[in-house]
Amino acid sequence: MKLSMAAKKRREGYSFILPGFAYMMIVLGYPLVYNVILAFRDVNVKTFKAGTDVFVGLNNFVTLFHDKTFLLVFRNTFVFTIGCLVFQFTIGFIFAMFFSKKFTLAGPVRGMILVGYMMPMSVTAMLGKNIFDVSSGLMNDLFMKIGLIRAPVEWLLNGSTAMAAVIAVNCWVGIPFNMLLLTSGLTGISQDVYESAEVDGAHAIQRFIYITLPLMKSAIASVVMLGFIYTFKAFDLQFVMTSGGPLNATDVLGTYSYTLSFTQYEFSMGSATAMVLFCCLFIIGLFYLRVISREDD
Amino acid sequence: MRRKIAKFAAAMTMSAMVAVSLAGCGNSGNRASSGSTDSVVEKKEVEEQDTEPLKIPDAEKKQDDAASLAEDIGQPNGGAQVRLWHYFEHEAKVLNAVCKQYNELQSDIYIIPTFISREELMKQYTIGAVSGELPDIGMVDSPDMASYISLGVFEDITKYLEGWEDLGQFYEGPLSSCKDPEGNLYGLPNNSNCLAILCNMDMLKAAGFENPPATWAEFKQVCEATSDPDNGVYGFAMCCISNEEGTFQFIPWLYGSGATVASVDGPEAVSSFAMLSELVNNGWMSKEVVNWGQGDALNAWIAGKAAMLESGTWQIANLDGEFKDAVTWEYQYAQFPASDNGTQATVIGGENFGVCAGSEYAAECVEFLKFMQTAQNNAEWCELAGKLPVRADAVELKDFWTADARYKVFNDSMEFSVARGPHESWPTISEALYKAEQAAILGEKTPEEAAAEAAQTIKPILEKVPLPE
Repeated sequence: MKLSMAAKKRREGYSFILPGFAYMMIVLGYPLVYNVILAFRDVNVKTFKAGTDVFVGLNNFVTLFHDKTFLLVFRNTFVFTIGCLVFQFTIGFIFAMFFSKKFTLAGPVRGMILVGYMMPMSVTAMLGKNIFDVSSGLMNDLFMKIGLIRAPVEWLLNGSTAMAAVIAVNCWVGIPFNMLLLTSGLTGISQDVYESAEVDGAHAIQRFIYITLPLMKSAIASVVMLGFIYTFKAFDLQFVMTSGGPLNATDVLGTYSYTLSFTQYEFSMGSATAMVLFCCLFIIGLFYLRVISREDD
Repeated sequence: MRRKIAKFAAAMTMSAMVAVSLAGCGNSGNRASSGSTDSVVEKKEVEEQDTEPLKIPDAEKKQDDAASLAEDIGQPNGGAQVRLWHYFEHEAKVLNAVCKQYNELQSDIYIIPTFISREELMKQYTIGAVSGELPDIGMVDSPDMASYISLGVFEDITKYLEGWEDLGQFYEGPLSSCKDPEGNLYGLPNNSNCLAILCNMDMLKAAGFENPPATWAEFKQVCEATSDPDNGVYGFAMCCISNEEGTFQFIPWLYGSGATVASVDGPEAVSSFAMLSELVNNGWMSKEVVNWGQGDALNAWIAGKAAMLESGTWQIANLDGEFKDAVTWEYQYAQFPASDNGTQATVIGGENFGVCAGSEYAAECVEFLKFMQTAQNNAEWCELAGKLPVRADAVELKDFWTADARYKVFNDSMEFSVARGPHESWPTISEALYKAEQAAILGEKTPEEAAAEAAQTIKPILEKVPLPE
């Protein structure tokens, strides 16, 4: 049987994606499936060796959503993610617009801001831990010297300030990331559009609202979605900087899943937590695809 | 169609990102090569009188190249390579010397010790329980052993130890941490340690106290008199970090109050939580202790920021070593003060060595453990590494536990020291304890609420499987 040209091309296309697809299935698909299986069984320190774990359906998820600590961690994850997104996107956007202007040393200074993004997260977290230390931290020292505070702030000892500190440190990394992506979006806008708007009498704010924002829509959607995914699955920052403390105040789903699996040996509960994290990201991912495909149309 | 494929690929990529970042359990792997398996040489019976005293290599030597490693642990002896994982830091050179001595003494196995930080080592054991990627010999903190036995990390070595008369010399406390509920042995205890109060006597004397406090009431008086929170100086420093170290340092206060883990919501236990929160509320102890490991607390004391420190046996070696020049004041170790009802307690710490499940050289590894734990070797090891022995006949071989006033405090404290567990759910019990302790210290909960919350987690666990008496 002779294959049509289109069928041949299609088969050729499949053969090209096959290696990548197989790689993903073996290396990435397997742990995911393993994680799903664990989440629906009761594998823990008692059942692990004996192999007496059984299928428990959604029990692990029901237990999780009745657990006060998990609910706190779930809330923390959203507070952390949204807090980070608001600040890093706003400041990143301002920086992107600022550095898109041509002025002396604009390039090198923009490059220096990227240092935060290039630094390994564990190093950044250690820096954060030292900066927000109560007795010898830079932040308290600085604030006291300029008279902003009289007594040292117990940054990492108080739940809300600890979360603020973790968000601040994450923004240090997130701002350059946002700036980088938004800068490439800004450079895609033709200067002619701005010039003609200026001729028509549009002032700076109008130019931003009616030209910059609409033309940056897809870049903004990408930055926000990628930022959400990247921030939502945070782990190393909290793990190193606060160990999720004080009293789970900065614990997020990633660190809590790790604690359940590797400290408490509640493997199934840890996997169920990971599944909750995955499902949240999956929904966001689908939303992202929808936005992107609408842009394509 | 193209869009569908793109969607699918994007979804898969995203799934993979999450899975990779979270899934800790990998696929099963082969055990690492254990070297030449055909070089089985006639087994030598290792007698303690054949052994020479330990020779410690230069502490500055690095282990990262093969030559210096061989110098530290002996040249390859033709035996099968056996991997030993541990988290000893300043004691590592002493451990290397033990390995070297054994490697030179026989040729069945060639032991290669590897340092892995405590947290990472625990993670590796957990992953290893799934993947089978475990060393031949593993060191473990004694309260964690029960969980790892349950997870199948360690091999039952009871049959290899049958008829070994020395077993009767081991103290029951440390030895019980190597057993499962049926009494089978999975390893041997290596050393013991406990906690005591380290006092900066210059600060105490300046405040009008000639001796360390003997009761909780005196303890509070000393704290009050030596604290100057405005200048960052506190009467007391301890570790209340959110891990096992935090629980370890809390146990002497809990048991000292007259309570036990099982009665964590009783009035005595509440008084122990109240004691610690009082120290913080009165400015006698820094709130930062919730982020301090035991090393951080020692650093605070070394910096002169605390008059008294909850200190472990192993820290004597730090005082004699790296901090020798930093400590310019007179210091004294003292037993834990007795609470108002006269109860005094401390906590037993220590490490065990077990043979990991699946080791091809289990019998040979047990021989090494027996060698390592002979009375002579245990005594020498403890003297060099700053530990307390785990067998009665080792104590008689040296006198530094009684001759050195500092060690004597710890040695005498062993009489009222408490073991953690053994219990397969100890990590969960421990988490409940340190979280309650932190909640009380940070003022998030009253001592009563903190105690009640800990009991909510602990009691159902102990109802199913109680702690050993």
